[in-house]
Amino acid sequence: MLFNKLTLLFFLSLTLFAYPQISQDIKDKKIYPMGEKIYKSKCNNIDVSNYKTYEELNTKITDEMLCGSLKEKHKQALSLYLWDVKRVDAKTYEKLTVTKKDKCQVCGMHMHHYPTWVSRINYPEGETYNFDGMKCMFKFYFNNQKGITDILVQDYYSLKTINAREAFFVVGSDVYGPMGHELIPFKDKKSATSFSLEHKGKTIYSFDEITEYMVRSLGR
Amino acid sequence: MVGKINFYLLEYTLKYILRYKYKNLFIAIVMSLLVALLASTLFISNAMKDEYNAILDNYPDIIITNQKAMRDSTIDESVIDTVLAIKGVSRVVARVWGEYYFANADKKFTLVGIAQFQEYSNPTLNDISHISDTSMLISSGVYEVLKSSYYVDYFNFIKADGTLKKLNLDRNFITSNTLENSSLIVMSEENVKDIFDYKESEATDLSVSVANENEVAFIAAKINTILPNTKVTVKDDLRVKYENIYNLRSGFFLTIFIISFFTFFIIIYDKVSGLNSEQKREIGILKAIGWRVGDVLNSKLYEGLIISLFSYVLGVLLAFIYVYVLDAPLLKKIFLNNYDLMNDFVIHFSVDYETLALLFFLSVPIYIAATIIPSWRVATLEADEVMR
Repeated sequence: MLFNKLTLLFFLSLTLFAYPQISQDIKDKKIYPMGEKIYKSKCNNIDVSNYKTYEELNTKITDEMLCGSLKEKHKQALSLYLWDVKRVDAKTYEKLTVTKKDKCQVCGMHMHHYPTWVSRINYPEGETYNFDGMKCMFKFYFNNQKGITDILVQDYYSLKTINAREAFFVVGSDVYGPMGHELIPFKDKKSATSFSLEHKGKTIYSFDEITEYMVRSLGR
Repeated sequence: MVGKINFYLLEYTLKYILRYKYKNLFIAIVMSLLVALLASTLFISNAMKDEYNAILDNYPDIIITNQKAMRDSTIDESVIDTVLAIKGVSRVVARVWGEYYFANADKKFTLVGIAQFQEYSNPTLNDISHISDTSMLISSGVYEVLKSSYYVDYFNFIKADGTLKKLNLDRNFITSNTLENSSLIVMSEENVKDIFDYKESEATDLSVSVANENEVAFIAAKINTILPNTKVTVKDDLRVKYENIYNLRSGFFLTIFIISFFTFFIIIYDKVSGLNSEQKREIGILKAIGWRVGDVLNSKLYEGLIISLFSYVLGVLLAFIYVYVLDAPLLKKIFLNNYDLMNDFVIHFSVDYETLALLFFLSVPIYIAATIIPSWRVATLEADEVMR
């Protein structure tokens, strides 16, 4: 009996520090921002690469009081943020913003009224071109493919700047951009599919599948 | 003709105005008061509109309120995860807040609870990093009310079960002095829950932020489908609601408007309907000594311009002093609810060119026309006909 209880206690203590099973949406939208806020306000620099596992990090935060005394909920948020975001340190792009004067490179439209649709192409010499939608961007791209460093678009749901080459585009939906029919960009296939179902999208394309003919036929 | 001022004519006009000193002074006073009244009401109402819009800008995109028997009720925090799973939602915050009636001073306070390390869409709350469990932050408006009841260091809230909850007043005030913050008390979420007798997982409502504004309406509809018992309010609905309240109040102003305009037009009508025999004789004499019709009209133009511009400038100046220096003592109360402690709000200075232009074109050209037209009628007649 005692042995059973001890093993149970042992497993329980394991799960206390183990990586929690929480859906990615909740982590992205609730836990990481909170963890970041805690890290910035309470902690001195923590080098996450010193820790081999999530459990080790979590235990250290608890035992060594790296960030003062925290509630259990906050501690978990902090460790998850450090482990998933800080450790991975994925490349992020700055937010695409335009001024009142900026015009679309292709159609000449002023863009500041439609900030959610802005996309951008960068060249190595620091040349930057802004577009008022994905359609204009692709028209430009098909004519000037040489030497492009970055093609940046905004994920429709989160408005985070993403690399267009890794994005998925929904065509034929009931959401229109400033120039009518649009290729609507998403950071992953899952959100593209979800959008496509909800907004009557016809097809989902990855960046390489998009042809010049397709983009031109959207304008008709 | 324009650009060249005939100073002899101007001198004559000034003398003419001074000859009818009391009549012209009366007209100038009435007109400037009229301009002042209209300008100050429009200034206040525009300031209020800006204020409401500023408040709405800080509002969450969507607010989810739970309903029981069609009445607002508390919502369980576990709903957050359901809403977070919706694509396009960027943040969901369980807000714990409510209104507390302070019977002694007949005022309502807005109690807002904040949780540690939580991101809020309202910048005032976001700036408050942490608040201890035994104290609360208050706005200067609340401070004045509490001071008048001799609460300087602490305040006793009466909880739902009738017992008291004592909280210390923080030395720091909530500084931003806007309409929405004037009755604000901020304390920790646990304390608000304690005062209002909420359970651990209860919240007043959920505020939902949506990154892409094109998606707001769709997400609101989706939440409504997933949580059919809740009331989902979109920021634009609130804007309409605010505007309705606001329009009701501006009804008072419409009345003032109409009355003052009728007064003004009665004066104008009186002027246009004809000159008295003395004024007619004067024009006749002027013509007899050799003035042309143009000269008479020019002198009348100067007269109208001098009186109406003087009254307009004086009126606008009075309005500026009344609204921005004296802080609109009486008129502001019409818009604001005394009970809500909202009378604390300061009107931010801004020059409203549209209002100024509107009042200019309603007063100056009309008055000038009213002085010129009857004189022109007389001036075109022969001199002997007029003097006969």
